[in-house]
Amino acid sequence: MSQQTQHRHALEIINLSIALPNGVRLLRDVSLKLEPGEVRALVGESGAGKSMIGKTVLGILPDTLKITQGEIILEGQHLNMMTPWTRRKTVAEITALIPQDPLTALNPLRKIGPQIVDPLIRIRGWEKDRARARALELLERVHIRAPERVMQSYPHELSGGMRQRILIAAAFAPSPRLIVADEPTTALDVTVQKEILKLIRELQKETGTAVLFVTHDMGVVAKISQQVTVLFAGKVMEDAPTREVFTNPAHPYTRALIAATPSSADLDRPFSPVPTELIAELHAQVARDDALWQGKKR
Amino acid sequence: MTALFSIRDLHLSFPDRGNKPLFGPAPRIEVLKGLTLDIPEGRITGIVGESGSGKSTFGRVLVRLLDPDSGQVLFDGKDIATLDEEAILPLRRDLQMIFQDPMSSLNPRHRVWRLIAQPLKRYGRGGTKAQATEALARVGLPAAFADRYPHQLSGGQRQRVGIARAIALEPRFILADEIVSGLDVSSQAQVLMLLKQLAEEMGLTVAFISHDLSVIRHLCDNVVVLNHGEIVDAGPVAEVFENPQSEVTRKLLSAIPLPEMDDDWFND
Repeated sequence: MSQQTQHRHALEIINLSIALPNGVRLLRDVSLKLEPGEVRALVGESGAGKSMIGKTVLGILPDTLKITQGEIILEGQHLNMMTPWTRRKTVAEITALIPQDPLTALNPLRKIGPQIVDPLIRIRGWEKDRARARALELLERVHIRAPERVMQSYPHELSGGMRQRILIAAAFAPSPRLIVADEPTTALDVTVQKEILKLIRELQKETGTAVLFVTHDMGVVAKISQQVTVLFAGKVMEDAPTREVFTNPAHPYTRALIAATPSSADLDRPFSPVPTELIAELHAQVARDDALWQGKKR
Repeated sequence: MTALFSIRDLHLSFPDRGNKPLFGPAPRIEVLKGLTLDIPEGRITGIVGESGSGKSTFGRVLVRLLDPDSGQVLFDGKDIATLDEEAILPLRRDLQMIFQDPMSSLNPRHRVWRLIAQPLKRYGRGGTKAQATEALARVGLPAAFADRYPHQLSGGQRQRVGIARAIALEPRFILADEIVSGLDVSSQAQVLMLLKQLAEEMGLTVAFISHDLSVIRHLCDNVVVLNHGEIVDAGPVAEVFENPQSEVTRKLLSAIPLPEMDDDWFND
């Protein structure tokens, strides 16, 4: 079957399971699709495995974790069938990452300029001048006022919001077709968060880039995404269009997550954490799944 | 409503080391520019603002971790801004703090019970494991947690230990500085509910610093909005939210991503 004839998703994950060396599964049969130009939110609490999915796609999973089953297909290309070298090359060509913490993502000893320009030269093979021009263009696009001066600055000289905008510029500079955004606004103030979300959305729309947006905030999910995957303990609870999730959530866990997010719209509604009975029930479900899976393996 | 704190014309500045001339003192950056407000007793007052608005600095003046340049900070009628370290010592127990990042405010080498008992001992109020266990029970953690180390706890549990440590001393005032910003929504809701319930039971006065207005709205009775070291809005929560007086408050309010569909959210 030729890859051109079939419909190409930007990303397709089929039945992905990831386990620790001792066999404990951290991701359980996760499947999802991401179309070009679409934003899909991966939402869940800590330990749900949402960042792990992003890391698996980018091939930056810690060595101790093993993919026990499943396929990752980037623009029709099966990553698991490739040699490590081709896989890295393919991933580098198609994808980019917007990380959570801009301070650890940027090298503190290097100026901003080369940190954006070098990957363009290395991965895209562009001339230095072209790469530099592209970096300046993107810095301007993310509303950095004196891009020439910022290119000459070190990360510690800039504010958190500035650093996050620089990483957005760096991610979009090589014109990737898929961006993994791993909680890019968690460390930021609400007003800065809104600016950053707006930037990601604008750039994503302009360029038609698909975005896998990892977050724990249902509020952010409602604003940025068109599709949502709700995760609990590495298992998909609900996969639906964002509009549907907020107007008519199908899974009790999704409803609980929405209810636990403070909303200033209704003052009288008290805080409602995810009920412990629900969490216990879901854990029991997951344990049953695992038992079945163990049985199948033998 | 009596005021536990009366703050009058509070000024505070830090030296701007980045622009220090070769000789002579560094110029000073004004962080708090003449704050005047009352913090009512037995209520939860929210302090909100963007990064750099001076909200944490202000909080630290309330528990006298920072000395103001000028102005009065009357705590129960006594001006704690000018008391020397010796004179303020008896008041320290009444002014407690819960920190943003429990991982860095809880000593990783100590078991949980010791973390709670040590301050009790320091203030001559015992300091036994039994007292620590009792404090843990009040924040909803079973006695088994007393023997754990901070790294063995989840973020929400660690923050509960921070609360247990503060309330064990039976203070009159607690400063909570961004205590839920690192937590999941669900543990966030649990910690906030716990704080509210304890404040009610113990008649505590709480200053709750946050940049998240929706959290403030649910938790607090009053709110103060700071911007560049000045008060731009203040009053009962419902009033400020319904009828914000300043552009800053309106901007903060509209920036909250609510968990609902709103196609126009980005268009303003």
